[in-house]
This record gives sequence, structure tokens and C-alpha cells, in this order.
Amino acid sequence: MPDGPLIVQSDKTLLLEVDHPSAEQARRSIAPFAELERAPEHVHTYRLTALGLWNARAAGHDAEQVVNTLIEFSRYPVPHALLVDVAETMSRYGRLQLAQDPAHGLVLRTTDRAVLAEVLKSRRTAGLVGARIDESTVTVHPSERGHLKQVLVKLGWPAEDLAGYVDGEKHPIELSPTTHPRTPHEKAAPWEMRPYQAQAVDGFWHGGSGVVVLPCGAGKTIVGAGAMARSGTTTLILVTNTVSARQWRDELVRRTTLTEDEIGEYSGTKKEIKPVTIATYQVLTTKRKGVYTHLELLDARDWGLVLYDEVHLLPAPVFRMTADLQARRRLGLTATLVREDGREDEVFSLIGPKRFDAPWKDIESQGYIAPADCVEVRLTLPESERMTYATAETEDKYRLAASASGKKKVVEQIVARHPDDQVLVIGQYIDQLEELAEHLGAPIITGATTNKERQRLFGAFREGEISRLVVSKVANYSVDLPEASVAIQVSGSFGSRQEEAQRLGRIMRPKADGRTAHFYAVVARDTVDQDFAAHRQRFLAEQGYAYRIVDAEDLDGSPAGSTAP
Amino acid sequence: MASSLPAAPASATRHFADDLRQRSDTALAALLRARPDLAAPSPSTLRSLAARASSRTSLERALARADALTLQVLEAVLALEPVFRAPPGPDTPGLSTPGPGTPGLSTLGPSALGTEVVTRALGGAADDREAVEAAVHLAVEHALLWDAGQGTGPASSPDLRTSPGLDELLGPNPAGLGPHIDPVPDGLAEAVARALGPTPGPPGTGAALDALLAEAPGGARAILDALAWGPPVGVVPAAGTRPRDAVNWLVTAHLLVRSDARHVVLPRLVGLALRDGHTHRAPHTRAPEPQGRSLPAATADAEAASAALELVRRVRVLRRSWDENPPSVLRAGGLGVRDLRRLAAQLETDEPTAAFVVEVAALAGLVRDDGEAPPSYVPTVTDWDDLDDAVRWARLVEAWLTSRRAPWLVGSRDDKGALRAPLSPDLQRPWVPRLRDSVLGVLAEGLDGETVLAPTAGAVVEVLTWHTPRSVPPASAVEGLLAEMEWLGVTGAGALSAPGRELLPAAASHPADVAGALRAVLPHEVDEILLQGDLTGIVPGRPSRQLARLLERAADVESRGAATTVRFSPASVTRALDQGETADGLLDELAHRSPVPVPQPLEYLVRDTARRHGAVRVGSASAYLRAADPTVLAGLEHDPSLAGLGLVRLAPTVLAASVPAAALHEALRSRGLVSALEGPDGRVLVARRGVTGRAMPAPRSAAAIRMGSGSDVATRTPDPESLVAELRAVEAAARAGARARAEAADVAHSVAVPGGGVPLRGYRVVPSMPAGTGTAQEVTSGAAGQAPPASPASTNGSRTAAPGSGAPAADHEPGPAEDDPGTQHPADGLALLRDALRDGSTVIVEVAGHTGRLERRELKPLNLDGGRLRALDPDREAELTIAVHRIASVLPTSSTP
Repeated sequence: MPDGPLIVQSDKTLLLEVDHPSAEQARRSIAPFAELERAPEHVHTYRLTALGLWNARAAGHDAEQVVNTLIEFSRYPVPHALLVDVAETMSRYGRLQLAQDPAHGLVLRTTDRAVLAEVLKSRRTAGLVGARIDESTVTVHPSERGHLKQVLVKLGWPAEDLAGYVDGEKHPIELSPTTHPRTPHEKAAPWEMRPYQAQAVDGFWHGGSGVVVLPCGAGKTIVGAGAMARSGTTTLILVTNTVSARQWRDELVRRTTLTEDEIGEYSGTKKEIKPVTIATYQVLTTKRKGVYTHLELLDARDWGLVLYDEVHLLPAPVFRMTADLQARRRLGLTATLVREDGREDEVFSLIGPKRFDAPWKDIESQGYIAPADCVEVRLTLPESERMTYATAETEDKYRLAASASGKKKVVEQIVARHPDDQVLVIGQYIDQLEELAEHLGAPIITGATTNKERQRLFGAFREGEISRLVVSKVANYSVDLPEASVAIQVSGSFGSRQEEAQRLGRIMRPKADGRTAHFYAVVARDTVDQDFAAHRQRFLAEQGYAYRIVDAEDLDGSPAGSTAP
Repeated sequence: MASSLPAAPASATRHFADDLRQRSDTALAALLRARPDLAAPSPSTLRSLAARASSRTSLERALARADALTLQVLEAVLALEPVFRAPPGPDTPGLSTPGPGTPGLSTLGPSALGTEVVTRALGGAADDREAVEAAVHLAVEHALLWDAGQGTGPASSPDLRTSPGLDELLGPNPAGLGPHIDPVPDGLAEAVARALGPTPGPPGTGAALDALLAEAPGGARAILDALAWGPPVGVVPAAGTRPRDAVNWLVTAHLLVRSDARHVVLPRLVGLALRDGHTHRAPHTRAPEPQGRSLPAATADAEAASAALELVRRVRVLRRSWDENPPSVLRAGGLGVRDLRRLAAQLETDEPTAAFVVEVAALAGLVRDDGEAPPSYVPTVTDWDDLDDAVRWARLVEAWLTSRRAPWLVGSRDDKGALRAPLSPDLQRPWVPRLRDSVLGVLAEGLDGETVLAPTAGAVVEVLTWHTPRSVPPASAVEGLLAEMEWLGVTGAGALSAPGRELLPAAASHPADVAGALRAVLPHEVDEILLQGDLTGIVPGRPSRQLARLLERAADVESRGAATTVRFSPASVTRALDQGETADGLLDELAHRSPVPVPQPLEYLVRDTARRHGAVRVGSASAYLRAADPTVLAGLEHDPSLAGLGLVRLAPTVLAASVPAAALHEALRSRGLVSALEGPDGRVLVARRGVTGRAMPAPRSAAAIRMGSGSDVATRTPDPESLVAELRAVEAAARAGARARAEAADVAHSVAVPGGGVPLRGYRVVPSMPAGTGTAQEVTSGAAGQAPPASPASTNGSRTAAPGSGAPAADHEPGPAEDDPGTQHPADGLALLRDALRDGSTVIVEVAGHTGRLERRELKPLNLDGGRLRALDPDREAELTIAVHRIASVLPTSSTP
């Protein structure tokens, strides 16, 4: 296509011109194998990575399709070396296969003996494989299935896992056609999965195991419920924290045929094991005398499905445990595959390839998540604070800048601009948050708040009994606050991009009246706070959220509830 | 000297020389063009031209350029030559006593060793004849073969002979055939003659052999077959074994010959019979087809375009980088490893590519050694920055096309173990241009309209091996050149691109055509940038020059290729502001080139950076003046008497001066202002004489060095046509007065000349000779003895050099017609020696003795090798060895008075 929407760069980035008439078609065609790197207003950038190409192979796409797609939509001739590289990379997947042999059990098979010889020669595979059966087959210790896959990805020869899964203990689970009322006066409402959620469940189920990437607020829990219903087996759900565990339980009770009695919670406070058990990462990684005390949970039942919430936060020990769960179906749910620790390849090898992905903006434009207006408010520090900042030790600088006293007034002004909204104030430093809470007269939730109190406050906020809530980073993840429509971030974890995504996610649930959500970040000008903010905002911009920068002095002038330009 | 032409013996050399003499002027000119070493320095006579053409060095050069088919033809002629001649030549001394003699093939079958016979001998079919004929024609033109026929016969049926000296180079067993030995078993010669004849018919060579082997013991045939295709020498099996019996039988039957106690050799005719009359299995009539991927021409062009742009960009980065930070020149010349590594990082590439960029930039005269002490590499002042991409590329590629540099050797180690550095003189290789042309030629073969061929390096070497089997280029050099072509965009994805095609010798393009060819494949220029909220901008194509300049100033490139992605950051905007942009100017320019409004975050970034830009300022001053009371300083700044101090007010209480502190101090004192000198800690110093600051060194200016011409001066050789005309003139003059002059020359050489009034003929006085001695006879004989006959300096046969003047003949142009052609040329003497060696005859040799006197001896040469002649003196019955450079002249025995 001489005038195509796509420009293929030799550094393996693909530039997609969004306003081009065939952009949508091109996007759908490249989505299976290219990772969306950023999606600003005009040109979206995708990247070809080895993992992405293997993901595509795992999903049944071959190199020829990929090459043809690139050539078809490219505006300029596609660099030859890139096409060769794509074909070469994709041909690496599947030359090794993990399979069940009727006589020898789990085996590693190859269609290319040289490859098998190469990987067996590597010191990293030593101890993971057993006896050589013939030239192209070698036995694999079933317990090392995960480790082997991990090593093979590192060696550049990812194995296709055809060994299948254990069926697991059957347990009937169905999606219920109407929601179960949470409170006596709530009415049961009919519901069904959104199209993209159903696609995600299908994608996962056909692939066997893998990861579904959906933006915050797009209903990942429902995808999980759908997968459970499809599986119809006992399920282990791993989540980040207790609050999130309770929300999962509530949602499952609301949307499926499961009852409270069938769902167990396995956390610091409760140790129930039921057909559906929700455990926290924290309890799994608890060590006593150097031993993981709760490992038996993984074998407590014959689980047919293991669900990982927020895969990008999966701690390293859980990875190791997951390596032993390779015979069970695994579903990872996340808003972003970006891991600040760069362990994307372990997610690929241990949980599975990406099975479904949808850009935020698409889901937003379909009305499933709320549109958001992002504003950075720049605060000029008063002379005295600037002096303190300039002479402070490097390690104290961020704290000083982030908890600048002027932010109190700015927050007050912003809150005043949104009298009718549910406002969350989010921050990093407890002192600052406590001050703010006092200043605004709003309740506060921090790590020190008891779970019961947290539940109560979140409940009250959801019901609209309180309209202002100050929260620390405990609320970053998996706290469902559908009615929050304004978030004010006063300080963050340095430049963490995924934290920014999570915080934005807090206000992205679609509003009953279709209101625009507002996300404010208050930063101190000319400090490291500003630099970190720039880093975080890059993520927002790359996700397609236009943001504006306003000076704190100009804040009064702009009308409340203004939308993004 | 009596080696005058008419009296020469009827030797092969003589015939060869006659053949050359009979050639037309155009043919001679073609020969000189094909073998330029024959023309430089200019030969004096046609005879010395013939001698030079049959010298080992020149033949080696000629063979190095011969292709596989030509070599096959030469081998075939060489192998058949003795068996065509009757009786067989004496080139097999000691193997058998010359018997009554087998009749030569020429009396049995084909009358002459012509193209037909050669084609058949090569095992070629009828349709190979054309190729063989072309090869024969070329070999004759290059004087590797000559026509021993009547010379007037039709060109299609010559009687071919190899040029003298070729047998030495092609080895004793041409085409793996043994020597021609008499006697030949019955019927074999006839059978071979029939096989090579125009109508090959029964009985064939197989039948003839079968007849001979009818009574042979078992295993005899197997022994012959094993030796059939060479090497023709076998080891005699141990006595008493069955194979030994077979060998003995074969020797008795003259099918094998004992060469010494342990070896047997297969005679040539037997070998030919075993091969069915063929010297080769099949003729290599054409080069193998280069193997490789074929790809669409459009792909190659697109790849080439992006490579070309990338190279031009890298040269720009290189020049900028070296302008800011010139790397120093290594003591042995070249760029240091660390500088190369740093440059590679700046160019975002690996070191071999960076080395090539440096080399090609130097070739194009864009960077050079600044000549300072110590020297550094700096960019030169050129109009480079004002040219468009295509013209820049054309300049680089033109410079590369004639380069003799081998940058692919960078990083390897030389004989002493030192790393070869880019730009070092060590990388000069004279054969690079020739190999480059050959490689381009191979690439050009794969052109076929819509698709082009990308041959592998191995395939290119294979083709080149066919072209010059005796000088196969090293695979690493071919790979190096192919990589260079890829970096330049001469090839794209390994196949010759459209702009690359303009560089083929056949295209004979003007630089403007080359630039035009590249421009035709470059993507269109785009003059707009899509600005986005995440502070990036995308140019969806090749940026125009103005846009590229803007982006270079104000943004950092994130991704390059068909499109360019840039990111604006505080650092990049600061850079633009440093270069004199203003926030408004920058935003205006961006808005002007962006089809979408400038996003608010970008605008904010530019304004915010501009707000902070210049908040802290740096300048240079040599001294300062401060006072607690501003009124003290008031007026000083504008005082005309202090104007030379360069006072600038920095703050109410501080002035900066551009003169050293001491000078400032003095000047203020003389104006009546009592100042005190202050140390770095603010304490007052005790005034001492000689407390002076040091002026800030001026920033290094790297520019302003003109590029020298730097081109290699080619050796000047006269054009072949005029050289041939001169040779003819000499020839005519020689015929006119040969006799008289030959006698005169003889006298001149053998008789001591008193007084030095007679000009020395024949030998050039080497410049190192002591000048102005005036004693002519010593100089004469000494010079004659010491001038190395084979060295190029003396082979020019310069006409005159005044004895004792010590000045070499500066003028290589031939002298006037009265010049004496009878003086023997050293090469002629060598040719005579070689003939005598071959014929086993004696010659008269004049040798310079210990005292420098010439001694005349009659000798029978035994061996001529390595600059030494081993010969037998029949009179004294002694063997002696003479250094060739001491031989003054050689005369055939017959011509002695």
C-alpha cells in the first residue's frame, strides 16, 4: 500500500497514523504480534519484540501473515533486515515442544535436532531434563516443567507447551443472568459480559494459559469470573491484598452462581480452603524460619484453574511457586504488562503468552470506561522552601518537594472546584496526608487503618455518604470505588508508571451520568517532584490521555469541570 | 656487441620475437594495453619487448589476470606442444635416450595445433568452440600464445605455441600430464592423433590401449587409471608383490617410465590416450552463475536509499563530533581505539561501521589531520553542509570508488602484532580498486529487470576464482567490500541498487548522474511534523533540510528510518536556546510546520525552559574588582583612561576586567585608586612583582584547514600507440645500420675507453655512482657490471648517459634515429641464456671480473635461477656460478668472430 497508515522503522517500531482511513484495519491486523508502546493523539507506536512475535505464534499466526501484514499496510518499503528477522524469530517458537508421551510421561520434543542439542548443551538446562529417549526427544521431570520453559525462553528457543493440563476437581460455576443484590433494597439487574470481556475469555480458553491485558475499570474481575465459569472447576485466585480479596468475593457472589460458603479467604486473618479460594500474595510469600509456611495451599486441592490478579505485581517468590503449577490452567489479569522490574519474560514463560489486549482509548470510546481529563498543577514554592530544598541532601529532596506546604491550598482549591464530585486525595507521605485530611475534614485510610475500618469507609464513600476521602498507596490496587470521579495526587512513588496507571484507574469506572473524570497531579515547580511527574505523565500521554499543565496561580480562573482540550 | 638481430639462433625466443614483430600496430598496442608492465618503463626495441614479455615476472602478472578457460587453453597447448613436434624435444633429459623418434602428431592427424584441436583436447563440444576461440584469441593478443604457423594463414587455423617461459610457470606436468618420452608404444600416437583430428573415428584410444594391455598382468590397468588424471608420478611398489610385477610389465611395455629408483611416471602420450585424447575433462567456458537470493529491485533500492541517508547522517555527526572534540592522531598514524569506540557510540553503530565512516569521510576530504603538533583529526572547511543529501552521497561514493584503502582490516593485527587503526597508512592496498571493480562486475551479473540478485560472499569469491584462478582474492577482502557497499547503499539487502549501477565502469556516469540516481530512489521529502501530547513529534517521511536542521537543534531523535520520531525535552530545548532560538521563535516555527496545533504540554515545556534559560550565566574574565562601597566603583566603567581594561559591571560592587590582575592593579594605581590584590580566599595578598594571572586560552578552533589535493600521482606511461610507433622506428633504424653499429658497440664495450670522451652506451649509470671521476674505463665497466639487468631501473634501455656525469638519463623518450640499437639489452641476454639452457648449447658470456674487467668465456648453461647462472666451462672442465648482474652480455656461439 503506497499510502498506508503504517510506517515500519528499522529499529522495529511501527508507527500507526491514527487519522488514516485504514488505521483501524491496520491496528487490528498488527495487534496480535506488536506491543502497543504508546498511543498519543496522532501517531501510535507499536514495537515488535521477540516475546510479541512468539505470542503471535502461540496464537496461531505465522511469519508469513506477519510479513504480509507489514507489507500491506506500510507506507514505505519495509526494511528487508526486519522482515528476515521477523521470520527468523518466529521460526524459533515451537521447534521445541513439551508434550505428554504415553510411555515416558512429560517429554521435550524437537523438530530440529540441532536446537535440542544446543539447549541440552547449555548448563542452564542441566538437571531440568532427564534421559534422552532418542535423537529428538528427551524426558522432562514434571516438576521442572516451568523452570525448563523459563530457561528455554532465556536461551531464545521458547517451547510450545502441548503437554496439556490436569482437569482439576470439578465444581459447577455459572454466570448468573442477573446480579445478586448486595443490599436488601437493591434490585437484581440483568447483565451480561461486554463483548471484549467475552473475547478475552475465549482468547484465554483457546490458548490454554496466558495473560489478559485490560485497562483499570474495564472489568477484569468479570473476565476472571467468565474464565471460572468456562472451566467449571475449583479455582485458586491470587490477589494483591485483603481488601481486593473481599472485592473479588463480593463480585463473584454478585455475578455467578457461587455462594459465600463456596468461597474461602486465605489471608493473614483467615485461613479457609474452599472450592474457590482467594489468597493474597503476601500470605503466600510469608516465611517463617526460612520456609514458606503456606505453600501447602497450592496443593490443598486439585485446582483446575489458577487466577493471578495484577500480574505485573507478582512477587518473585510467587513466580517460583508458579513454576511448579505448570500442569494447571493459569490466567493472568493486568492493566499493563510493563513491569518496573523487567520480568516480562517470566510472565510469558510461567503464566503464558498474552491472550488478549485492548487499548484503553478503544474501551473508553465504547463507553465502558469514563473519559478522563488530566491536569498537572505546577506550584511555585515560596522563597523559604526553595532555599531549604536547594540545600537539602539529595535523598530528602523528593520528600521535601512532594510534601510542600503550598500543596494544601492547591488541593483545597481543586476540591472547591468539584463540590458535587466524589473526590479522592492520594499521596505517598502519611504526615502530609494526615495534615490534608485534617485540613479538608475528610477521613483518611492508610496502612495503619484496620481492614474493618477500611471496608466501612470505602462502603460509605461508595454510597455517597462521604464525598471526600484521603488515601495512601494502600488504595492503589484493586479497590473498587465506582463513583469516584476526581483524583488528586499530591505525591507518588517517585516515577512509577504503573502506579500512575493504577491511580488513574481509580476514577475510570464509568459514571452513571457519563461524567468526565478528573485527574490532578500537584507538583512543585523546578524540583525533582516535577521530573518524576514528567516521567509518570509520559505514561498517561502514551496511553492517549491528553494532559494540560496549569500554574497553581491560574487555578482559580478556570471554570470547574472543564474538559480536556 | 655482436648479438645483432639477424644473426640470432633459430630458437623459440627468436620465433616468438618474430611473431611479435609481425603483429600489426594495433595488435601491439592492444598487447601493451593488456599488459601495461611491458610498457613501463618503455622498452627500447621490439626484441627487448619480446624478452620482457617472456620474463617470469611479466608472465606471472599476465597469468594472474587470466581466467580459468584461458589457463585451460594454455595448459592444453603446453601439453600438446611436444607431442605435436617431431622429434620430441629434449625437455626430458635423463629419462630416456633420444631414440629414432616417434613421429609428431602433426604428421599423423591434425596438421596444426589450432583452435579445433584445443577445443577437442579440452573435452569441449562443438558449441564450446566459440568460447575457446575467444580465449585463444585473447591469449594470443596477450602474447601468452603465438602462432608458429606461416603467420599469413587464416586466423581460424593457427599453429599455436606457448610463449617462452610459460612452461616454467605452469609446471612440469601441465594439466597433470607427464613428460613426453620416447619410445611411445605402438599405435597410441596414431590413436591420440585420431581423437584430436577433425573426424575422430575407430579405432579409438581405448581400443589402442586394450590392444597394448591384452597380455598385461592383473592390476596393470588399474595402475594406469590411477595415474590417468594426474599427478602422473607414482611410487614403485615393494619388490615381489603383484603390483610390482604389473609396474615392471608396464615399464617394459613403455606404458610407464622409471624416473628414479622409487618412482614411475606416466608418459604424456599414454596419459592422453587414457584420457581419450583430452587434456581436460571439460572446458570451463564460462564463470559459474553467482548464487544468492533474488529480491525485488524496489526492495534493494529502498534499502540502499536508507543506507545512503544513514551514511550521510553519520558523516555529519562525525564532523560535528570532531569539530567539538578533535581526537589526536596516533604516533604511527591513525585513530586510537578509544576514540573509535567513542565515535561508534556517537554514531550508534559498531566499530567496523564507524571505521568505515571515518575512512570514507577522509577519502572525500571531509576530515583530515590538522598538521599541528601534536596532530589531531579535524573536519575540513567545505561546502558540505550546504549540499543536499544526494550530492553529498555522490561525493562520498566517488571518493570511495577509487580508494586503495582496506578499512575492513581495522581491528586486525599486523605482522608485529599492532592493531591496525582507521586512517593509518597501514591500510593502503594497491589491489583494492581492481578487486572492487571485479566485485561490482559480479554484482552486475544478477541484474534482471524487476528482480535483482544478492549473491553471498562465497558465491562472489567463486565467480572471481573463475576469472583469476591464479590470484584468488581473499574471502575477507570480498566480504569487507560487500559490507562497504551495503553501508554505502551501493547495494541494498546485498543486491546492486539503481544508484549503485551508475558506478559500474560500463555506466561511465557523471557525478551528477550518480546523485540523480540516488535522488530517484530516496523517499519524498516531508516538511511537516506531527506534534503530540507526549512531547514527541513524528516526521512521516524524510525530513526536508530546513526541518532536519530545526529538529537537530531542538529535539532528540528517538527512532530513525522511513520516518523520524523525535522527543522534545528540557535538554533539547535548552540546546536550541543556546543556539540563539527564542521560545516564541521556536514555537512559531513548530506551529508553522505542524498540521496540528502545538500541544499545550510542549508549549509549556518550551516556555518553562526559556524562563529558566539564562538564569545562571557564565562568562570569562581575567580579573575582578570589588569594593564594599558602590560609589568607589562608580564611573570607572566608563572612564576613557581605563578603556583598555575591558571593565564590565557585574553587580553594583563588582567589576570584571579582561586584563590580568596585576595589570589591573597597576592601571588603577596609576589613576590614583588605591587597590589591593586579593587571594582566592579573599585575603589581601602582599604585593609581589610578577603576580600575574594567565590569560584564558582561546577556545580551540578546529576549522579553517584547507584540504590538500592528496591524490596519488599515477606513474606516467606513454600511450601504447606512440610507444609502438617508436619501437617500429627503432626497428627500421636497426635494420638500416645494424652491422656497422653492432661492431662499434662491440668495441665500445670490450675496449677500455680512454679519457671519457666516448659516451657510454647501453647501461644507465645508477645515480648512486660516485660522480665526476673522469676515469671512464672504471666507471664504464663498473656500471655495466653493477646495473642489475632485471631491475626495472635498467630495463628501460635508456639511450645515453654521459660517463662520469652521474646523472641518470632523465628523458625516457627514445633518442634520435642515429642512436645505436645494437647494444644488448639485459633481457635479451637472459633470453639467450634460457635458449641455450633449453637447447643444451653453449654461449659466449662476458662477465665482469673482480677488477671490473670484462672476461669472455664460452659456457654451457646448466641452470638459471634466483639471479644466478650455473654453467659448465667446457674449456676448463669446471662448473661455475655467476651472479646474473655481473653478466655484461651474452652472445650466441655462432656469432663469435
